[in-house]
Amino acid sequence: MRALIAALVLGGTMLITPMTLADSPPVPDAGASETQKDAAEERATRFVGVEGPDAESIPGGALLLAAYAVVWALLFLFLKRMRGLQSQTAEELERLSAEIRASKDR
Amino acid sequence: MSRTGQSGSATVWSLVLFATLALFAAALYTIFVVAPVEQQMGIVQKIFYFHVPSAYAMYIGFFVSAVGSAVYLLKRDPRWDAVAVAGAEVGTLFCLIVLLTGPLWARKAWGVWWTWDPRLTTTLLSGMIFAAYLALRSMGDAGEVEKRFAAGLALLGLVNLPLIHYSVQRWRGVHPTVITGKGGGLESEMYWALGLSFMAFTGLAVLLIWARASLERQRAESARLRLELMHQ
Repeated sequence: MRALIAALVLGGTMLITPMTLADSPPVPDAGASETQKDAAEERATRFVGVEGPDAESIPGGALLLAAYAVVWALLFLFLKRMRGLQSQTAEELERLSAEIRASKDR
Repeated sequence: MSRTGQSGSATVWSLVLFATLALFAAALYTIFVVAPVEQQMGIVQKIFYFHVPSAYAMYIGFFVSAVGSAVYLLKRDPRWDAVAVAGAEVGTLFCLIVLLTGPLWARKAWGVWWTWDPRLTTTLLSGMIFAAYLALRSMGDAGEVEKRFAAGLALLGLVNLPLIHYSVQRWRGVHPTVITGKGGGLESEMYWALGLSFMAFTGLAVLLIWARASLERQRAESARLRLELMHQ
């Protein structure tokens, strides 16, 4: 029985050891710089063209400026229109009052 | 209105005007100097401080218009009709501001100028209802029928206001829910900027509605005098 277990352990060890050795990374050469190797691996080795439209950068500052300009411009236009209506109405009221006074005098 | 009443009204007007100007100055300082730049969107997020209060001022305008219209339908008092017209015009102005500043922000945040998000769609719908109101009222001197029909439109617009407000919570969309109950909130400096801006826009909406209603009453008086002259 002991001989059978020993044979199984030996057989299993012989089967597993080559696979483990194959998966493990190669042992670095003595004296090789680890950091230099990483930096080299990070360098681009290929350029790939974009498919479809180009990637864009939307200018946030310009959009912000445009939004605040829109607010002030619309308020200004509204006030200008109100002022126009105000002067037009005041003139008309004055004219109509004068006409009514004149018609009553007649 | 009596001379004393006019003087008191002018004093209140001036006080509100100065308070509003001071609030705008404080809001702009807080927005651009105190409040931090948002982490993900960057500086474009600062549109938020004028965009959201504009939407709130739009609600004020449209609500005032609907209330003025309802009272006008009940009492037939032209002063309330003037209030309704003023509310509709000011509300439409702020609606236009919302619909123009929103896409400028959305272009950066969502990558599109416009999307049929529930809140955007319902806001556009409200703008169209009140634009129809103003178109109806701008066709010369409005008669009684036009005024009543326009008042009905304003009430229809009022029904849409809660839909705009709750659409962001009820339906799926892309609109941020930062300051709603489900939202994650803002930095304290951002809350200050938004709060000051809210107050400034409230003052501005009140001033504009007040001035426009006063002008509309003068226009109604002018129309009445014209009619009087015609019958003489």
